[in-house]
Amino acid sequence: MQVPLSKQARIALVATGVLLVLAVAVRGITPRATVAPEDVVEEGPRIVEPMQFLGAGAKLRGGELDQWIAADRRTRFKALRQLLFNLDNCPDLVEWIDSMDGQGLERMIAELRTGKREEAFASLALVYQLARATEWKPALMSRTPQAEAERLGSMLQDWLRMWGERAAKDTLLAEPAVSAVLLYAHVMRMAENAPVIGTLSAPRERAKAYINELLGVGQSRRTALGELVQARHGDALSRFAGRDDPLVGLAKDAQTLFPDMNGTCGK
Amino acid sequence: MSANPEHSATTGLTLGGLLVGVGGALLGLQIDQNGSWSGTGWTAFAIGALLALGAMLLRAKREGSLPRDRLGIFAIVTSFAALTFVLSGVLAPGGPWMFFEIALLAAVVVFKRPQERAGGWIGYGVLGLLAALLFFKLWIAYQGSENRWALMSVNIPVLSWLPFEFLDPIKRIALGSFTPHEMGFPPAGLSFAPTLALWSIGFALCVAGMLLSQTSAREHENDRIHELIHTLPSGLANFVERILPEEEWHALGLHGLPERRLARRIEALVSERMARQNELQSALDAGRLLSQTNPGGFAGGIYRAIVDPDPRRDAL
Repeated sequence: MQVPLSKQARIALVATGVLLVLAVAVRGITPRATVAPEDVVEEGPRIVEPMQFLGAGAKLRGGELDQWIAADRRTRFKALRQLLFNLDNCPDLVEWIDSMDGQGLERMIAELRTGKREEAFASLALVYQLARATEWKPALMSRTPQAEAERLGSMLQDWLRMWGERAAKDTLLAEPAVSAVLLYAHVMRMAENAPVIGTLSAPRERAKAYINELLGVGQSRRTALGELVQARHGDALSRFAGRDDPLVGLAKDAQTLFPDMNGTCGK
Repeated sequence: MSANPEHSATTGLTLGGLLVGVGGALLGLQIDQNGSWSGTGWTAFAIGALLALGAMLLRAKREGSLPRDRLGIFAIVTSFAALTFVLSGVLAPGGPWMFFEIALLAAVVVFKRPQERAGGWIGYGVLGLLAALLFFKLWIAYQGSENRWALMSVNIPVLSWLPFEFLDPIKRIALGSFTPHEMGFPPAGLSFAPTLALWSIGFALCVAGMLLSQTSAREHENDRIHELIHTLPSGLANFVERILPEEEWHALGLHGLPERRLARRIEALVSERMARQNELQSALDAGRLLSQTNPGGFAGGIYRAIVDPDPRRDAL
C-alpha cells in the first residue's frame, strides 16, 4: 500500500537527492595547481635567470642591468653598481651606508624601487650585493649588536612592502621576492640572536608581524606571495606558524640558498 | 504510530537525507594552506562505497527485506550514502594504514549482525570504533600538516640532549611514517584547523542523519503495515494490533515484505498467537497448573475449595 506523497514532500526528496549527488561530486574537486609565475615565458627582451643577479656570481652579470635603467639615472646607477660590486674590504654596513657613497646608494635604491619592474629588480640586486659586500653580523662588544642586521632588514622590508604582493604574479620578480622573504627572515633572526647571552624579542616580533601580514599566515587565505612561499618552503612556513623560534625555518632555507650571505662577506 | 504518516516519516527521511548530504559534502572536502578548497579524492570513497554495499547486501540477505515504495527506496539510498560517507570519511586515504582499517571495518561493520536498538549498522560500539578511526585520521592529518611525516617520533636519550645541529637527523626515530601522496594532501599542504572542523562536523552530521533516516524508515514501514491492518473492520484491526504489537513488527520480519506476503504473514502470526492463546487458556481452565503447585493435605484442600469450588470435580 503506497503512502501518497504531497508535492512539497516530493520536491524535498528530490532536493535532498540532488544534495547527496553533490556530496559525492565534491570529492572530485581537484586541488589548485601551483603555477610558478617564472614558468611563463615572456615575449621580447627580458632579464633571463634573474636569480643569477642575486647569487654569489652576480658580479659576472651585473653590467646587464644598466640597459634596464631609465636613461636619466643610468649613469649614476652604473657608477654605484661598479662601486658596490668592487667593494672588497668588507666595511661595516651601517658605517658604509652612512658614508657619501652609501647615502648615494641608499637614494638610488629608493628611486629604483619606485620605478618600473626591471628597475625594482635592479634595486633588489643592489640590496643583495650590499648584504654580500658589507659586514652586518652582530658584533660581540657593541652596545647595539643588532643594529647592522636590522638596517639591512629594513631595506629588504621596504622593497617587499612595495613589491612583495605585485611580485608574486610577475615572471621576473616572483622568485626574487620569495628569496627576499627568506633573506629578510635570516637577517632578522641574526638580529634576534645578536646578544651573546639571550635573545632580543623585538626584532623577532617585528619580523613575525610583518611576515604574517605579507604572506597572510594565520589568515583564512594566504596572499599571492604567501602561496608562492608555501609552495616552495612549506616546511619553513609551518615552523613559522609555530610558537618556538618562528624564523628558523625560513632562515635555514635562506642559508641553503645563499650560503655566503652570513654577514661577514662570505668569510 | 503517527496521526499523519506521510508527514512524520517523510519529514524524518528528508531531514535525515539533508543531514547526510551536508555531512557527506563536508567529509569530502579539505582546505589547503593557501585557503583553497579541494576534494578528498575517490579512493577512500570507492572503498567506503564497497564496504557499505557489502554491509547492505548482507543485511538484505539476513532480513529478506527490500524497499517497497518510493520512500523506502529513498531511505535505503540515504542509508547507503551515509554509511559510505562515514566509512570513507574515517579511512586513511592511502598506504598500509588504509588496508588495516578496511579489514577492521569489514569485520566490525560489514559482517556484524545489525543491532535492533541502535537502528541498523551503527551500534554504540561501532560508533565508538568509527570515532576512534576518525581521531586516528585527524592525528595523522595533523602530523602531516605540520610537515611531520610519521605517527610520532621518539627522542633518543643522550643524543637528543646534545646541542649540535649536525646531529639533528639522528636525534629522533620516526614511528609509522607516511607520505603526503598517501595522505592525498593538496600540493600546498593541508590547513589542519578548518579541515578538522569540516571533517568532525561532517562525521557528526552523517551519523545523526543515518540514525534519523533509519528510524524514519522503520516508522514508515510501520505505517505501511498499519495501513494494511486497517483495511480490516475497525474492531478486528484493533484486535490484530493488540495481538501483534507495533514494537514487535520489525522483529517478526514484517518490514520490507511485499503487500501480499505481508498479509499472509500477518494471518499466520495471528493464527499462531491465537492458537497459543487458546492453548494457554485451556491449560488454565483445566486447573492443571493449580494442581501442580497445590501443597496438598488439609490446607491444600481448603485452598482448592476456595479457588475451584466445583464439588463435582472431587467426585471425579
